[in-house]
Amino acid sequence: MNEDIHSISLLIVMVWPLLLAIPAVRSRLPWPGHLAIMPAAVRVILPGDSSFELSWLFFGTEFAIDGEVRWILAMTVAVWLLAATAAKSSKSDPTYDRTTTFFLLTLAGNVGVVLATDLVGFFSFSTLMGYSFYGLMIHGGNAEVQRAGRLYLIFLIVADLVLFEALLLAASTTEDLRYKVVRQAMVGTSSTQFYLWMALVGFVFKAGIWPAQLWLSSAFKSVPFSRALLLGGVPVSMGLLGMVRWLPFGEHAFYVFGMVIQMIGVASILYGALRFFTNATMKMLPAWSIITVTGFFMATLGTGLVYPALWSQYEYLTHPFIASLGIFLAALTFTIGRLQDTRPHPAFASRKVEDLSLWVGKWIGAIRRSSKDRLFGLQSLWRGSWLKVKEQPQRILDWGKPAVLVGGWSAAITMFVLLGLMLAWLAR
Amino acid sequence: MNWNAWIPLLVVASSLLPGLVIFSLAEERVRLRSTLNLAGALVKLALVGWMLWGVYHGRHYETRLALLPDLELVLRAGPLSLLFVTLSSVLWLVTTVYAIGYLEGSPHRSRFFGFFSLCVSATVGVALSGNLISFLLFYELLTLSTYPLIVHRGTEVARRAGHSYLVYTIFGGALLLLGTVWLYTLTGTLEFTPQGFLNSLGEEHHPALIVIFALMIAGLGVKAALVPLHGWLPQAMVAPAPVSALLHAVAVVKAGVFGIVRVVYEVFGVSFAAELGVTGPLAWLAATTIIYGSLRALFQDDLKRRLAFCTVSQLSYIVLGVAIAGPIATIGGVVHLVHQGLMKIALFFCAGNLAETLGIHKVSEMNGVGRRMPWTMAAFTIGAFGMMGAPPIAGFISKWYLGLGALEAGQEWVILVLAGSSLLNAAYFLPILHRAWFQEPPETWPEERKFGRKETAWALLLPPVITALMALGAGMLASAPFSPLGWAQLIAQREFYQP
Repeated sequence: MNEDIHSISLLIVMVWPLLLAIPAVRSRLPWPGHLAIMPAAVRVILPGDSSFELSWLFFGTEFAIDGEVRWILAMTVAVWLLAATAAKSSKSDPTYDRTTTFFLLTLAGNVGVVLATDLVGFFSFSTLMGYSFYGLMIHGGNAEVQRAGRLYLIFLIVADLVLFEALLLAASTTEDLRYKVVRQAMVGTSSTQFYLWMALVGFVFKAGIWPAQLWLSSAFKSVPFSRALLLGGVPVSMGLLGMVRWLPFGEHAFYVFGMVIQMIGVASILYGALRFFTNATMKMLPAWSIITVTGFFMATLGTGLVYPALWSQYEYLTHPFIASLGIFLAALTFTIGRLQDTRPHPAFASRKVEDLSLWVGKWIGAIRRSSKDRLFGLQSLWRGSWLKVKEQPQRILDWGKPAVLVGGWSAAITMFVLLGLMLAWLAR
Repeated sequence: MNWNAWIPLLVVASSLLPGLVIFSLAEERVRLRSTLNLAGALVKLALVGWMLWGVYHGRHYETRLALLPDLELVLRAGPLSLLFVTLSSVLWLVTTVYAIGYLEGSPHRSRFFGFFSLCVSATVGVALSGNLISFLLFYELLTLSTYPLIVHRGTEVARRAGHSYLVYTIFGGALLLLGTVWLYTLTGTLEFTPQGFLNSLGEEHHPALIVIFALMIAGLGVKAALVPLHGWLPQAMVAPAPVSALLHAVAVVKAGVFGIVRVVYEVFGVSFAAELGVTGPLAWLAATTIIYGSLRALFQDDLKRRLAFCTVSQLSYIVLGVAIAGPIATIGGVVHLVHQGLMKIALFFCAGNLAETLGIHKVSEMNGVGRRMPWTMAAFTIGAFGMMGAPPIAGFISKWYLGLGALEAGQEWVILVLAGSSLLNAAYFLPILHRAWFQEPPETWPEERKFGRKETAWALLLPPVITALMALGAGMLASAPFSPLGWAQLIAQREFYQP
């Protein structure tokens, strides 16, 4: 009986936001965003693991909650409650109905991703989440938001295609597509390498991890903070979660693959840190933080693939880490958004960042001078970018204005990091 | 009296007889005409439901009528034929409701609905044919009954499209006839047989069989819109929306693709066809058509023309599934026969609604149309995502089995084709959805008709919404008994695993 109640409660967690997404159902309800997440909040608090199977859905699928999933679901509840609170639109707003529909569809997809126990369920709800989030992101936005949306959509489509290929490879290897079975089955088969790379590329794109961070930084730059606070908790966290669930951690040592992930991690850390020092508008702070922190996470994942025993020892930390990351980033974005709303020109907040920015600039300049001959091709690119930054220092610190870093500067940093990676590879 | 022997014939007659009566009705007899149409569709559906239940429980339904010495008109209900008959019957009912709403007040409705019923009778005949000669007969009847529907508007463009359709399909029919006659001289039988009836022929006949296969595929490929025989299909989109729906989802193109399925499975047998080496080129032809159709769709501003090229591309998924020549790919190909029908008919209904209600014919005119017609565009969105292969819509199930089938058969290149096609599908459908949902609507629409508080007439709104929900249901409930997927698995099992 108790088990039945738990299973039904899990079903409600998933179905309730979907039902509320229909405008006619929620028309008389106040705060549908808050209400939609309530069953999930209750399920987080209720003790005990539970699951329910829907044999008629897709090819037969199962949803479950256990200790690990509870972390992620708790994060989901926190992030969505924050987002529902930050959303300012009211019923008198002409865009209210459509925004709320996209909001609730994204939420339903997000909850489904968290509770899915197999690859097909994860993929399906992630598709719902991804495309609905596109609608939520760009709805009512200006040209800059639309551009960010387009970038996000391109990365999303490619990620979905690549993940579909990985899914097919997994399904052709094992009929049982539950995470644990797939992780064990995808070791030592002829399609293992292909599966690993497809899954990696797919989730790197989905989560906006370097070098696919372009959509993420664009989104932070342009999307209103009430929606931007979902970026860390929804696409990024779910991308990281996907990686943990799909890749065969702790099963076998994948040296080359693991090292590539480590390198991506290190590159992300460097890239995020450099961008933080050189483009430190407060609005972009969460973006560079995400890139840096996901870099640390990727480096850890890479290490886990190289040393499976180490992974088995510390695996239990991954879900709390993803949960903390999502909550931290949502809270950071929320706080910055609130500050921005209340203090339009808080010069004090960027002072320290300005000093660091100049220091890093000088440092890069010194490197440039010392490597004048060897890095001749990069020299003009850096110089041009740096001159632009030097000419307009005050714009870097402007609140509310679009972020100013020029495309060339971004390219230079990327090339610099790639160069470092290449050197590290050669030095092995 | 054995009723089971008459049911297939009654299924054909259930639309043929009302059709013949409708021809004689005066234009103003709207109620009687609608009643005859709907009653015919409902009777057909009931009979098909009866046969579905019977075949599932192992019963046989077969009608045999003497046609020529040694040749019989055979109508037989097997799993494969019932899949197509069910699709046609269900969609005919929905299309009839839509056509009644769409053509309200327009001239020549008796003529239209008369040929409409003949067209469906021919399609059901094609589906139930138990041998090649019966198939050929109904196939040609389908050509002739569709022509008046394409030229129905009577404009110069419509006449040209009709002319093009006739030239292509008569040429295709001639090739098919040639292949059929040649085959009959070699085998002395044309009876459709599970796993084919040609594998007993000696090796000395193999070159001839390869040529016969090519002739038949070319003949059927015209209606199946295989590149380079697809030219008539984008032109035929000038026809009224219910005819487009009929052409693209229920009848004509499906008859071509269904013919290819039958020739490969029940004339040659998939193993024998693979042994002859004809399935490989067929797979490449299908792959080329998939990519070509998608690329052409990308550059069309006319909405129906974009959908027409999408049909060219999507139909070849079915051919590809057959040509991969494995049990799982067969499931993918055969189930796509139904899935493509559901999704495409929803899309054409929506296109018709936009044209009839707001005068919108071009993609570039669709800015903000989602706000004016939310239900229509919601149905369009489901259809479009289904075409892209996004879960949980029916198209995902098709692509899933096609992809798995390709991997099973060791033809990994097919995965690239599927991925490329999905990418192109996204490239030509997502801009439409973006315009419709996220762009600001214009102050006035090209030719707006008001329907009170409703976005359009009920008869126009319900069919796209119902068919879109069916496409969603076919994907989400894929594992349920009697789902299209379950039926396709039954067909594959019979083709590959029964002795």
